[in-house]
Amino acid sequence: MDTNREDFGIAIRSAFLTKGSKQKFSLFALIVLSIIFLSVETIETKPLKYLRAFVKDVIYRGAMVVSTPSKSINNFSDFINQHVHLYDDYSKLKEENNELKNKISEKNFLELENNQLRKLIEEQVSSISNFTSARVMLDKQSPYLNSFIINIGSNKNIKNGMAAMDGKNFIGRIVDVNFFSSRVLLISDLNSKIPVMTEPSANHAILSGHGDSKPTLEYLPKSHNIQDGDKVYTSGKEGIFSPGIPIGEVKIEDDIAKVLLFSDLSQITFININLEDFHSDK
Amino acid sequence: MAYIYKQAKFKFFELLPLLILFYISFNGSSTIDLKYFSINVHYILVYYWVLREPKMLGYGFIFLSGIINDVVLGLPLGVNALSLLVIAAVAAYARVVTVRITLISDWISFIPALLLANFIYFLSLYFSDYSVDYLFLFKNSIFTFIFYPVLWVIFSLILNLTKS
Repeated sequence: MDTNREDFGIAIRSAFLTKGSKQKFSLFALIVLSIIFLSVETIETKPLKYLRAFVKDVIYRGAMVVSTPSKSINNFSDFINQHVHLYDDYSKLKEENNELKNKISEKNFLELENNQLRKLIEEQVSSISNFTSARVMLDKQSPYLNSFIINIGSNKNIKNGMAAMDGKNFIGRIVDVNFFSSRVLLISDLNSKIPVMTEPSANHAILSGHGDSKPTLEYLPKSHNIQDGDKVYTSGKEGIFSPGIPIGEVKIEDDIAKVLLFSDLSQITFININLEDFHSDK
Repeated sequence: MAYIYKQAKFKFFELLPLLILFYISFNGSSTIDLKYFSINVHYILVYYWVLREPKMLGYGFIFLSGIINDVVLGLPLGVNALSLLVIAAVAAYARVVTVRITLISDWISFIPALLLANFIYFLSLYFSDYSVDYLFLFKNSIFTFIFYPVLWVIFSLILNLTKS
């Protein structure tokens, strides 16, 4: 029994503490270092923040270079796919074009009516917005985190919590800012919870990501009247994002209100961030 | 000339595991996620090489690749590094206590490595306030285990090329 225990001890010591012939560090030392890294992650001091931002910036640049070949292969396969589906896309677009033409005249009328109503209630419509554009540097949709890296950071006054948009559609928010790069947490991510409202059913809800392309509406009132095709907008309830940024439309599947996003998150190259709209004190 | 060619080839295959390790870290492709299954190539790579030829994959490099992977995937620094080192630790222990290494013995000892690493992974994310998809983690562990022999064969071929 004692011999067995001794053997076990020797094996553990040999595996963890002894450095191999070409090993510069022992496993034990590196495991301790990893735990220290994990503990330090929660500490928010300026030097640590700068160091982290610098390390991340360097790694993002490296990752951008390394992922060039796989990116090229993906682009090529997309290119082939687009050509294969050319006819289908053409037919679909033709159909959509007809539909849109009909809707434009309807929209013009509604816009006119809306302007008249606004004047009536003397609402001041302020549209001061200062958008800044950013390019997606890295798009690593890990199963654990749906996010991407953009090429601007604190150098362009980007702050945590700012809304990221594809055109005018809401796609996520800034969660990590470095000097020359930032991370955008997409609405499809498991950790993403966005207060939204639906139109025309006018229900407030929380849009929760699940790691796939269809986030769901949660915390809906029991007697909600949401239907397929209802539009989903940010509600602005948490006070960080502006209200009314379009997100997607509702599709009810198995009694679950899923949201089909207006933007295809896998096809985003440039995003907009509204700097003017954000107040850090909110 | 033939000697130089042989040396270059030998050097290339000797560096190949390290190149793959850093490529998948920088590329953020440690987990191959397809529709019905997902495989953690990073775990298999580290486990195989630490078990079979530890001098080709230093612990320092494993740690560094884990840190890079954390940054690229946006996880708290140290999560992947710790999980990979746990995999390396179990592999190092299995190497010490095993006399004759076969696919079956490798495969069986990969189970505790996988369980321990994913447990550490889960714990680190849990304490960092990250949501964890338990089903995905479970599916990933199962398929990583099932897929191990395939990569074992490929890595064994690379290993033979460094020796021939």
